This record gives sequence, C-alpha cells and structure tokens, in this order.
Amino acid sequence: MGKNHLGEFEEVVMLTVAILHGEAYGVAIIEEMESRLKRSVSIGSLQVVLKRLEEKGYLKSEMGEATSVRGGKRKRFFTVTNVGKDMLRTSKEQRMQLWNALPDVALEFAGLK
Amino acid sequence: MNNSTKYGKTPLLLRFFRWFCDPNIVEDIEGDLLERFEISAAKEGKSIARKRLNKDVIQLFRPGIIRSMTGTRKLNSLGMIKNNITVAKRQLLRSKMYSTIKIGGFAIGIAVCLLITLFIKEELDYNKHIPGYENIFMAVKEYHEEGEVEKYTWMAPPYAKTLLADYPEVEKAGRILFNEGFGAGTANIRKANDPTNYYDKGFAFADQSILEIFNYPMVYGDRNSALSEPNSIVLTRTKAEMIFPGQNPVGEIVYIDENSENPMTVGGVIEDLPENSTVKFDYLRSLAEVEFWQGEQTSWGSNNYQVFVTLKTETNPAEFQGKLDQLKSKYLLPTYQQLGFANSEGLVETIHFLMVSLADIHLNSADVVDPFQKSDIKVVMVFAIIAAFILCLACINFINLSTAKSANRAKEVGLRKTIGSSRGGLITQFLTESTLYSLLSFILALVLSYLLLPYFNELAQKSISLPWNELWFIPSLTVASVLIGVVAGLYPAFYLSGFKPSTVLKGELSIGSKSGRLRNTLVILQFTASVVLVIGTFVVYEQISYIMNRDIGFDKEQVLIIESPYLVGDDKIETFRAELNKLPQVNSTSFSGYLPVSGSTRNGNVWWLEGRTKSDTPADGQNWTVDHHYMETYAIELIEGRNFSKEIKSDSAAMVINESMAKALNIADDPIGKKITNTNDNSQTYKVIGVVKDFHFSPMTEAIEPLAMKLGTMYSTGSVKLATDQIQGAIDRIRGVWEEMAPNQPFVYAFLDQRFERMYAEVIRIEKILMAFSLLAILIACLGLFGLSVFLVEQRTREVSVRLVLGAKVGQIIRLLSFNFMKPILISILIAIPIAWYVMKDWINNFVYSDGLNVTVFVVASGATFLIALITISFQSLKAALSSPIKGLRNE
Repeated sequence: MGKNHLGEFEEVVMLTVAILHGEAYGVAIIEEMESRLKRSVSIGSLQVVLKRLEEKGYLKSEMGEATSVRGGKRKRFFTVTNVGKDMLRTSKEQRMQLWNALPDVALEFAGLK
Repeated sequence: MNNSTKYGKTPLLLRFFRWFCDPNIVEDIEGDLLERFEISAAKEGKSIARKRLNKDVIQLFRPGIIRSMTGTRKLNSLGMIKNNITVAKRQLLRSKMYSTIKIGGFAIGIAVCLLITLFIKEELDYNKHIPGYENIFMAVKEYHEEGEVEKYTWMAPPYAKTLLADYPEVEKAGRILFNEGFGAGTANIRKANDPTNYYDKGFAFADQSILEIFNYPMVYGDRNSALSEPNSIVLTRTKAEMIFPGQNPVGEIVYIDENSENPMTVGGVIEDLPENSTVKFDYLRSLAEVEFWQGEQTSWGSNNYQVFVTLKTETNPAEFQGKLDQLKSKYLLPTYQQLGFANSEGLVETIHFLMVSLADIHLNSADVVDPFQKSDIKVVMVFAIIAAFILCLACINFINLSTAKSANRAKEVGLRKTIGSSRGGLITQFLTESTLYSLLSFILALVLSYLLLPYFNELAQKSISLPWNELWFIPSLTVASVLIGVVAGLYPAFYLSGFKPSTVLKGELSIGSKSGRLRNTLVILQFTASVVLVIGTFVVYEQISYIMNRDIGFDKEQVLIIESPYLVGDDKIETFRAELNKLPQVNSTSFSGYLPVSGSTRNGNVWWLEGRTKSDTPADGQNWTVDHHYMETYAIELIEGRNFSKEIKSDSAAMVINESMAKALNIADDPIGKKITNTNDNSQTYKVIGVVKDFHFSPMTEAIEPLAMKLGTMYSTGSVKLATDQIQGAIDRIRGVWEEMAPNQPFVYAFLDQRFERMYAEVIRIEKILMAFSLLAILIACLGLFGLSVFLVEQRTREVSVRLVLGAKVGQIIRLLSFNFMKPILISILIAIPIAWYVMKDWINNFVYSDGLNVTVFVVASGATFLIALITISFQSLKAALSSPIKGLRNE
C-alpha cells in the first residue's frame, strides 16, 4: 500500500480500458462497464479518473481521427501503459496472495467454500 | 463546430460546459456527451436524453475538469497570489521612501477614520441602553412667532399629571426639574450627624415616575417607591459611596444647604448613569408634595419642568402627538385669559405641543432648547466628511505616487506582457500590491489610533476605547482596509497595465506624462482641502482672541469666587466680609449669586415703566440681587446717577440698570428717577438711581440683555477682588479666614477668568479640532508633494547636472524645479478662499460680537500653507541643486 496504490474504481477503469484493447474511449468505457458490471458510471467521474490515471502514468491517450458522428468531435483513445500493466499485475498478485492466505476454516466460516 | 442543427439548439448547459471545461480535454468529452445523447435519444426519446445530458454536464463540473484560473498553465490562483505578493514585497522594499510615504499617509487616514467611526458609533448609541427607549418621549412646546419656530422643553407644573389623566395612550409621565433658581444645580449636602458638607453639582428634582420611566438599575432601595415620599432623595452609586462609604444609606438622613428644617431621607441608590445618557444628574430630590410658591402646582402660566412620558407599546407616536393640541383650549386659554393677556386666543394659536423621542434627543433635536448636553447630527456629519476627506487625501497620495513612478514600472509591464501576461493578471498584481500596502497601513493605523486615542477623547470630550474584544472590530477593519486598498489601487492598476509593450520596450513612452494632468488635479484637491481647513483654524483663532481681549465692561482678572459663603452662618457673614477685607491682599468683597459669566444664577423678568403695565411693549430682562459692593468688586462702570449707598434708606426700593435696559424701556434720555416694575415682584415699583455701562454677562454669541439690579442678601457665592499678584498667598490667607469661621466646611473657590474661559470651551474645542485636522491634512498633502518632488527631481537629475556644468546658479535650479508645483498650489488657494469664506461667514455670524471675517486672516493662512508647500518642494530641489553634477552624469 504505497503511494502507488490503486483505488477500486481506478482498477476497474484500467481493466476495462485493457479489455477494450485500443478501442477505449469515454462512451465505450462507460458502456463496457455498464454491461459487464451492471454499474452506472457518469461521464464526470470517469473523466476525472482517466485524467488522474494518465497523470500517474498508468494510462496514455491519443486523439483519434475526426469522424462525422459525435458532432465531428474526435475521440480520445486510452491504452494502458507498461507501468499501468505492472500496477495491474501487482494488484492482482496482492489479491491472490490474500486469497491464498485464507485458511479453510475461515473460508468455511465466511460461507465461501 | 456548429452542431445545433442536428441536435437542436445547443443546450445552455452544453455551452456552460464549454465555458468551464479545461480546453485540453474539452473536445473528446464533448464528443462523449453528444454520443451518449444520441444513443439515449434513439432509445428513450429526446427529452429524457436532454435531461441525461444536463445531468452529465453537472456531474462534470468538478475540480479535475474545470479549467485553471490562470490560462492554460497549471498554476492555480493561490500560486498566482503568492507570486503577486512576492513581487509586491520586492517593490515595497526597493523604494523604501515611497513605500513609507504611501503607508504612512494611509495609516494616518485609516487611524483618523477609525477614531471618527468609533466616535460616530458612540453618538448614535446615545440613550439606547435604556430598556424600552423606543417608547420614551420628551415633551416639547413649539412657539410660532413671526415666521420663526422655537422649541422649548420647559412645561407647566400640571402638564405631566394632565397627560396621564387625559390620554389613555400614556402609560407613565413624570417631571424632572433642573432650574437652579429652585435649588437644583449645585448645593452642599451632609449627613445629619456630621457637620462636614460636600459641595457638589448635579442636583435635580424629580417625580417618582422618572425612576420607572428610565428604568434605572437600583443598587439599594426599591425603584417603585424610592422617590415617592416627600423629602426623599436618590443618589447615584458614586455619590452614595462618597457620603456613606461602604454602607447602605437607605433610610439615612441628609441636609441640603444646611436646611435642617427639611431633613431629607435617602430613598434609594441607583447605578451611575452611563456616559451616553442625555438625562444626567447625581442627586434626585423628590417632587412629592413640593410647591415652590402658592398655586405653583396647578398653574399653567409658569414653565419650569422637563416632562418625560412612556407611551403604551401599541401607540402610534405621530397620532398621539396630533391630539395634544386639545390641551390648549382646555387649559392654556383659560389661564391666559385669567392672567389678562391682551390677545390670549392669538397667543394660544402660536403654541403647539409635541413629543420628541428619546432616540432623537441627542442628535436630532438641535433646534430644541433644553438643559441637556446634546450634540448635533450636523457635527457628526462634519466629522464623517472630514474623515472621508482625510482618507481621500491619503488615497490621492497613493494614486499620485504610483502613477508618478510609472516610468519605473513601465518596463516591467512591457516585459510581462511580452512573455504573455494578460492585462487582467497585471491588474490583479497591482491590486495585490496596493492591498498589501493598505493592510500594512491598517496595522500601523491600529497602533496610531491607540496612541492618539487619549488626545482624541480630549478633543471630542468622550471616553472612547478601542473595542478589541468586540467581534465585529478586527474583521470589519480588515475588510475595510482591503476595500480601501482596492479603491486606491484601481486607477494606477488600470493605468499601469495599459502600457503597450511595443512603445515601452522601444523606450518611446513619455514618462508619466499622461497622468500628469490628473496628478495636478489631485494635488489641487489636496491643497484646497488643506487651505480651507487652515483658513478655518485661523478665523476661529482670531475670533477667540477677539473674545478674550475685548473690553467686556468689567474686571475679570484677580476675582476669586468662593462657593457657599452661607456655610459660615448667615449671621456671621458681615463679620466674614470684614475679616476678608482686613487682609492686605483683598480689595473688596461682594456676596451675590449673579456673576457676570454664564453658569451662574439667571432669571427672566418682564419689565415695565410704571403705569404702563399690560399695554405697552415691556423689556425682557434680568432681575439681579446684589449688595453694596458689587459694582466696586467687578469694577463695573457707572455712567449716570449713583451706586447704592448704605446711608440712604430708600435704596431698598432702588435699582441700578444697564444701558440696554434703559434703551429697552425707552428712558435712555433721562433714566434717573424713573419708576420701573416687573410682573413677578408683587407689583413693587423701584426707582432707577443709576445706569451702568453695558457689560457682557453672557457669552458673546448673545446680545447683552437688559438688566436691573436691586439690593438684597444672597449668600450663595462670594466674589473677592484681590489686590495682589501673589495669588497663592492670597488664597492661603483667605482659606485661613474661612477655616476659622467655617470649620470642617469645604472651601470651594475658582477664578472668574477661568469661568470666563469655560464659557468659550466649545469654541476653543472647535479650534483644537480644526487645528488637528488641518495639521493632518497639511501633513498628508505635503507627504504626497514631497514624494512627487523627489520623483520629479530624480527624473531631471541629468538635466540639472548639465545645467550646473554649464554654470547655472543654485537659485535658478531651484526655481526651475519648484515652478511646476507652485501653479497647482496657487490654484488651490484661489479655489479654497471662496469656499472658506462661505463656510466661515456662517460660523462667525453665530457671534453677536465679532470683527467679522478679516481679509488678512485669509492672506496669512494661504501664505502659510503656500510657504509650507514651498519648503516641502524646495527641500528636494535644493538637494539636487547642491549635489555634485559628476554624480548625475557619471553613468553617461
């Protein structure tokens, strides 16, 4: 839990960006998250997180080509940087470590087995 | 970018989004918004889609997305302010002298404003400490006579009683009596079992209901009965502590003026009255069952009482006041007819009864004549205006020095603009600078006002303190000083930030010239104000010396006034006189309460020539009781007839009158032997045996009144004419005689010339206030002028050096450098003179006796101001002219 800690929402966003693999831009990310996680996300909260992740260096973005849809506005496509990928992996490993550390008694107790 | 056709008119919120969003990310987010809108519109219809869009935008309005305040870089506003403060600090330290002038001037301005604000607050709060003051009113009687309206507060004895009986709106009504002729004012008071008297002032008579109306907090006794018994007395806490130290005096007996036939019982003790109360006293004697002469209590023909009423809460004061004139036909008219006035109906018509609210008495009833110490809203306004003026003068200095120094700032501005500073940013920076100045001055001003407070209190005759622990104090001062900083900095900020970088950096800017005319105008303004104040001070000073040096018709020097000589015992008073006159230091001694200064006993009588009562115009005048030695003691000049003589028995019915009386009675040609009478004196007639030259027994704001003097005994005050300059020795000898004849009694004395000066205390106070303000104004104006001259000299160092090298004389250089400043100062003198003339003419007209406005005063005052300004300027010019030209040219 250093300063490189990822928030839950941040992690979800990064994973979604990774899933979309090159096709990740605002609305696409929202829809992906809504359909997979049944979780409604506002543009505002998403944009703030994207911006923050980009500042931290976990995501990078570039503007796409202008299209006639969307009122002629270009899309900003997000991809996960290598640092971001490392972060995701670390995060996953930490979770797995915790899961593996769970003794059977505790699993039983929690009704997870 | 025009997408309003496809999506309908661009929604307001979308436009709002474009406005607030960080430009770096606006495009793709807007695209997202529109895409979502389209999807949603296809699925759920346009109106829902629009609502969703609005919701999205509102959710986007958050810190990560809103554009930064200062352009596109990531400096937030806090950083900018920090930077501005740093720059301002450097600026402040770089030119220390200018900063000192700016901050010093500001501090003086703010300190003066602060003190005056406290003064005004105190004035506005008068009487508001009294519970229910909104419903308390003072009765006023208005006379309309020949187009003039006069308002008096002296009411007939039965007035309060009648109000209570006739008007259901009146809840309480009570009278208070301050008239010295009735035993109010000064008196001696002592405990029954202790012969030592306390000589004190502040005695008044009052009804029991006065205690209830004003709701005085009681220390001892019951507020609802303390004055209800006849011959009871109520003291304030301080006085009770003085006479009965450490004791509850309720029920104790005191004697007033040695009157042991009428012992007074202490009925209660009230808390000391707050400074800001209009109705003030230290001792209240009960009016219960008091009748000063037979029939007095039921008479509507005499007027001596101040009447206060409490109206019931639901009463409309204006409506109530409208009903008061009913009293005229019911009570006034019958009385006047009975007294036999020629035109009773007409007389009654001219009278109206009014009520003035307690909240208005102090400031808004300057036209009402009453015995109270009051102020005037006009005075408060004048104070406020002067405060604003002084502050303006300080702001002007700020503006002038800032724009004058613009040359030094121009390059900075040009450079900042070139590297992308916006004008708004520059304005903010300059305003930060001026606010920093004013905040520093504010701190200095607090220190200053703390130091100046005692002097200010003396000037304003107040006891104001700085309200450090009141919640509003520091915050509102801080806000005020920030505001002042912004106001003073606004013009320089706009002026300085308006430089074009191209002009400035090429060096083509003519330095400070654009603002030159403004600067001159402001200098003219400053000096006009200063000159007006200086002239005012001189005029008042002239009038005071006129008063003090005018031949007042009697000798006020070396007259010692002894209070209460009756304390030696009435039967021993002639022995006392003889003992005093035996002293080599004493010329003459007279006993009479009627002294030729205001503050001593006075009366009002209507005088007639014998046989012409009720038909002819009478003379309104004084009726004084004096002894054989009065004229001699005061060196009053007899111009016709003779003085009273002990040898002539018939002198008990003789009178000595003054010139004004002779004129008023139309007997100036041949006054001696004429018989005169007045309405009050049991129709006794007096023979005029002498006429004295008019002497000033009232302040010179009033004309000399007709006066008649008769023989009689009156031992309230003694006057001793000293024969020596050895004042202290004389006092010691007189005190010795007193202590022998009146052991244990207070020896209270004063000098007549001190009393005389006290008569003009108000005028002297005005002089001091004007003097203080004009000094301040000149000081601030000269500070500014000094700063400007330093600047101007700096600007022309090179020129001066060249001229010196080419052989110019020092005088020529000074003339060259000073000339620019002389013109605006001369102009301001020209403007100031008519203003001062107009204002001071009004003031001097207050005085019946004055020299009028003296032209030389104007010349001297303007000359003095001009000289001060000139010295201020030439100081720098001289420095420049005397400095070595090498210094000025070294860098060339």
